[in-house]
Amino acid sequence: MNSQPKKPKYWRSLAELEGDPEFSEYVAREFREPLEQTPLSDAGRRRFMQLMGASFALAGCHYREEKILPHTSRPDGQIPGVQTSYVTVMDVAGVATPLVATSYDGRPIKVRGHREDQASLGGTGPFHEASILGLYDPDRSQKVMQGQTPSTWEAFDGALLAAYTAAQKAGGEGFAVLSGAHSSPTLARLRNELKTELPQAAWYVYEPSHAPGKERGAELAFGKRVRELVSPEKADVIVALDSDLISAQSPSGLAYARKVSERRDPDSDSMSRIYAFESLLSELGSLADHRVAVQPSKIAAILAFLEGTIGSELGRATIPAPSADVLGAELHKVLSVVVRELLEKKGKSLVTLGSRYGAELHASAHRLNVLLGNVGSTVRYVEPSETLSGGVDDLAALVADIDAGKVKTLLILGANPVYSAPADIPFAPALGKVEQSFHLGLYRDETGEKCSWHAPEAHFLEVWGDARVQDGTVRIAQPLIEPLLGGRAAIEVLARLLGAPNPSSQALVRATSHLPTDKLWRAAVHSGRYGAAANEVAVEIQAASAFELPSAGELEVIFETDPAVFDGRFANNGWLQELPHPLSKQTWGNAALVGPATAEKLGLGDGHLCEVTIEGRSVSLPSIISPGQAEGTIALTLGYGRTVAGVVGGFLNPAEPVEVSGVDVYKVRPSKAPFLASGSVKKTGGRQELAITQDLWAIDAIGKSGQKQREDQLVRETTLADYKAHPDGIQHKVHHPPLLSLWQPPVSYEGHKWGMAVDLNKCTGCAACIVACQSENNIAVVGRSEVTKGRELTWIRVERYYKGDAKKASVRQQPVMCQQCENAPCEQVCPVGATMHTEEGLNDMVYNRCIGTRYCSNNCPYKVRRFNYRNYNLETIGTTPYTGTDDRRAKLKAMAFNPEVTVRGRGVMEKCTFCVQRIQNAKIVAKNQRRPLKDGEISTACEDACPSGAIVFGDLNDKNSRVAAAQKVPRAYELLQELNNRPRVNYLARISNPHPELSEADEHKSEHH
Amino acid sequence: MNTRVSITNPYNGPLEGDNAFAQITHNVSRIMEAPRPPLAWYIAFAFALGLLGVFGLSLGIVVWEGIGAWGHVHPVAWGFPIVNFVFWVGIGHAGTLISAILFLLRQNWRTAINRFAEAMTIFAVVCAAVFPGVHIGRPWLPYWMFPIPNQMGMWPQFRSPLEWDVFAVGTYATVSVLFWYMGMIPDFATFRDRSTSTVRRFVYGLVAMGWRGSSRQWHRYERAYLLLASLATPLVLSVHSVVSFDFATSQLPGWHTTIFPPYFVAGAIFGGFAMVVVLAVPAREFFGLKKIITLKHLELMAKVILATGMIVGYAYAMEMFVAWYSGSIYEQFAFLNRAFGNYAWSYWTMIFCNVLAPQVFWFKKLRTNVWVILIVGIIVNVGMWFERFVIICTSLTRDFLPANWGAFIPSAVDYATLAGSFGLFFTLFLLFCRYLPMVAMAEVKAFIPESHVHDH
Repeated sequence: MNSQPKKPKYWRSLAELEGDPEFSEYVAREFREPLEQTPLSDAGRRRFMQLMGASFALAGCHYREEKILPHTSRPDGQIPGVQTSYVTVMDVAGVATPLVATSYDGRPIKVRGHREDQASLGGTGPFHEASILGLYDPDRSQKVMQGQTPSTWEAFDGALLAAYTAAQKAGGEGFAVLSGAHSSPTLARLRNELKTELPQAAWYVYEPSHAPGKERGAELAFGKRVRELVSPEKADVIVALDSDLISAQSPSGLAYARKVSERRDPDSDSMSRIYAFESLLSELGSLADHRVAVQPSKIAAILAFLEGTIGSELGRATIPAPSADVLGAELHKVLSVVVRELLEKKGKSLVTLGSRYGAELHASAHRLNVLLGNVGSTVRYVEPSETLSGGVDDLAALVADIDAGKVKTLLILGANPVYSAPADIPFAPALGKVEQSFHLGLYRDETGEKCSWHAPEAHFLEVWGDARVQDGTVRIAQPLIEPLLGGRAAIEVLARLLGAPNPSSQALVRATSHLPTDKLWRAAVHSGRYGAAANEVAVEIQAASAFELPSAGELEVIFETDPAVFDGRFANNGWLQELPHPLSKQTWGNAALVGPATAEKLGLGDGHLCEVTIEGRSVSLPSIISPGQAEGTIALTLGYGRTVAGVVGGFLNPAEPVEVSGVDVYKVRPSKAPFLASGSVKKTGGRQELAITQDLWAIDAIGKSGQKQREDQLVRETTLADYKAHPDGIQHKVHHPPLLSLWQPPVSYEGHKWGMAVDLNKCTGCAACIVACQSENNIAVVGRSEVTKGRELTWIRVERYYKGDAKKASVRQQPVMCQQCENAPCEQVCPVGATMHTEEGLNDMVYNRCIGTRYCSNNCPYKVRRFNYRNYNLETIGTTPYTGTDDRRAKLKAMAFNPEVTVRGRGVMEKCTFCVQRIQNAKIVAKNQRRPLKDGEISTACEDACPSGAIVFGDLNDKNSRVAAAQKVPRAYELLQELNNRPRVNYLARISNPHPELSEADEHKSEHH
Repeated sequence: MNTRVSITNPYNGPLEGDNAFAQITHNVSRIMEAPRPPLAWYIAFAFALGLLGVFGLSLGIVVWEGIGAWGHVHPVAWGFPIVNFVFWVGIGHAGTLISAILFLLRQNWRTAINRFAEAMTIFAVVCAAVFPGVHIGRPWLPYWMFPIPNQMGMWPQFRSPLEWDVFAVGTYATVSVLFWYMGMIPDFATFRDRSTSTVRRFVYGLVAMGWRGSSRQWHRYERAYLLLASLATPLVLSVHSVVSFDFATSQLPGWHTTIFPPYFVAGAIFGGFAMVVVLAVPAREFFGLKKIITLKHLELMAKVILATGMIVGYAYAMEMFVAWYSGSIYEQFAFLNRAFGNYAWSYWTMIFCNVLAPQVFWFKKLRTNVWVILIVGIIVNVGMWFERFVIICTSLTRDFLPANWGAFIPSAVDYATLAGSFGLFFTLFLLFCRYLPMVAMAEVKAFIPESHVHDH
């Protein structure tokens, strides 16, 4: 029972945010009174008009007027209540992802991928989707602070400028800047300008996720700095070595995901083959045809074997191959096949190594691609462009400089090293030694709190910016709204230092672009990009030297950034905290993932507390058994345990502490080996209740056997050879009597007939669809304790099943949303008719009519209906939908709601609607233009987000639609078809393409009788 | 008149009157006429009222906070409230069965127990009726399930078994109340005529509806009673059949079973009779009714419990057989999981209580021992509650897609609601004992030997 129904613990207010009249008034009046009367306490109505007008003008090239309010004549193209979309870009730790942000009456409500942009091909990762919630996070920094006292921007500017001027006299000595990694050319330009102004000043970049192996490896292999671009769509064979190639966190990872999945279509004749040798289950590994779990220490031997053998086979031996004993018989057998196949597919293969490995190994991977003739086809090398990047080395240098007294003034741009510094770099004490420290950040976080000055940074949707993608072209970040909380962009702060009196982010970005005319600039803003792609560089293998093959550690510790909260910067985002980890399905925290045999050896189980010790430092956290993970490894996830995050991620304010989500493993992260360390683990006793969304209860023997018995029918799969020989084999996985019904279908579906196809051959389980759905459909965050009970509200879930025995398991991911059955069991049992069938075949939920009997959920065999057990939106929408709330925090949060979708209150069943609001909008547009709907015009939020294109939505009555085609292939099947619910979602069976010599005889064969 | 009434228990004195008719009248009427009931009544009433308070409090929490205060979670969308609902509806079967079916079958022994069995039925239905209303997500809107013409143009969805429930339980409650009330009219008149206080005479006079005991009135009364009994008889079978449709018509393995209607009806009669003996044994003790509710009656009820218990046991076995025979892996798993999964303890509790415990009634010595009858009655009631828990909750924890599997852990409010519903039941029952004719005097008199002196 929650004793505080009005203010659940999870959303509790920050004391420091109370009593801020300026903000209160701003938000309180935004909707209450006509816009004309909205004052900003210090700016006045006229200024507000100018700002709003300017923001409309800046926000897109549609509205040319500079001052447009009040509208005596409405600007061309602006229709109240009609959504407008703008191209923008989000940079996370130097990885730029082009996005399209949707604005509703001047208020951004949704971001999605930019389908036409080659840098992402429309995919997004969870944290891109969740950036909307971050924009409206009331915990974001809202005012300038000098130490513990509120201050103003003028004072901040004055103090910073004073420090700058003082340093200028000494040629910049004593002035230092610390930033996170960023691909922005404007920021890089300003850095160079700063260096010109202050030659002695230092600029450090610290990014916890910075992994320089790939670039340094290229330098080592080819003797010059180059950047690798790959074309996995051209690769017949991909050898993935602990690869994060298609991760949303990797540069171009989203585009690569789409390109890899293009070749995973068994109905075409060009299905690729993927071999994965990896310690943890990765996205690419989940698509793999052969997956071998190996410890990270084994990767060196594998690479050496591949390079050595292939080199000598081709007569271009670079390094000697290690003996088969080093690999072990089993691995040797697989690798021999891999070598043979790579040699057969010369120029049509790709070897990709995970970024967490060092330069030597990456050099080997680069050389392998050269040896195999892949350069020019699947791999290209281009000139690197200047970006801000740096990792632990930079931070160590900074701390050393501070200790040496070389830094008097430190300007920190966005980074949070007090939290994210490795364990052995004492950044926090060093920060105390700096005379004056200035922090610009979205949040007054661990670092901001300790600096002598803190100022709010603007969100990327609030200011202009730019970012460079992998191929060297630049993307422009367009703001959709004026800074809500008075923040400024880092480039603005820097430009002011460099002498610009009142710099605008737009002018700065434009200046970088060197676009001469307004027309060209507008075109660049419209398409979101400018600049030429980087030149291709020819590479040649330099003298290679054999590298050391590390012996397997007792326990190899792998540090990973979290798929949701990343390195901790998104820790205060409820959507991301509640996003289940793709493997462990854990929400609201992290755990040490261990393989089953290792867990058995250590006596660990799900939720058992253990102590991980690395270099004498230890941290205690719960463990989760992760089948398929290499034995002898333990995976720790960065990004949790934030103590100054906010009311979501955790806030150890002595007055009103908020539970800290997860455990901070930076406390044991060694700077020498920030990704792969060795350490020890021991069970400490005690257990922690985990907020996981699958297998909430330990599955007993009966449960396991039941699960095994049905998995073949639920997640159907076979091999490519078998599929080609028996295309209908997939249909025969389940045998049932003829599906007859007593009744004629009541609806003939003459107009549209919406349907969906989910390709299990493409789904990597990345979970972007879950956040996209949450954002599109106003799905409430329920909090840790409610997830622990099993009451999460997400409308789409990704079911995770392990295949094979626990120690050699591979993973199967299956997204399940409402199946929109034609013969829907839920519709029949609702006593009040709250869920009804439409003429287009949707199961519509009438929230207003629902009284919450929950019978529909009981009768739904897919259990895709979710019930709002407590009033999870209470704080944001008020006690009733009619009264609303006066709480200014709530009002800010409420701005993230999609106005097209009802915000559900307590006691109401909710579920996936196939994004009915998008369907209706597209139909209206088509009808106004007197034309039929085009295939692809309507996309659901999950389809939009999916980087690999596993989800396809469309009209089944349109014979040429993608979904109709997808549902026609022989491997399309309905989940629980034998119940005769006639679901509108079809799953496309997973067809693996194993090498004939390695395919196990008993595996995957269709029973055909 | 009541000079010999003792302080501790006014009903233990010898019977007054010079013939059996008068003795019966006196025996039953003195319960109401005594200035104060026995101490045990007060203790019981205080306890029941306390539990009723718990009931009110727990429902208050639920209405205030949302049904998240209960233990419902994602796959288990129905928990204790529906278990309690089905449990109480089941209890409410014995009354009408005894009054109507046994009446039509001329089982004259029923007259000693029918009145309070009927009362028990009404109160059980009252308890049951609370749950569908409060278990819904928006407990201020249950009237949307009634076909009330309204300006919003809303209408119930009649394909839903829950909608059928509304009518089945509603009809059953209406007919049961009518039947119960009509049966009490002659006895109310007796109370009225014996009353010494004006208030009492007025109140009982009002509810006696002008009964004078004329032969015309008796004639009409007997006809109406017969008609109502005939009307009520199908309802005994229909109400629990319809309640079972909630489950039987669904797709959930473990619910989707054609055996449910007869199985539920048998179970309801089984549980209802068990509740009758649980109430009858202390009632005859405390209110001095041993001469009216004799051991013979208890023994007959024990036989009914034994018979229906075996029907229920057969149903359990049949469910298992059909699950295996169906060839559906989901059905098979549901029953395997029931017997050996995480909630196996509840299944075996149910088997012990409902199948094994009543077997003691094969022995005459045991089925005529009030203690044995009482204890078995309680055990059977526990078992019947668990039967509903097993069916409803364990089936929901693990259905088709393993990724959905979950667990049901009841919250403190769940237990409070369950306990509290007994508070409501016992409060109503104790008030009934004190103020209403607990035994159908007129009907009992019709079957005592003195009534038949002129027979051959």
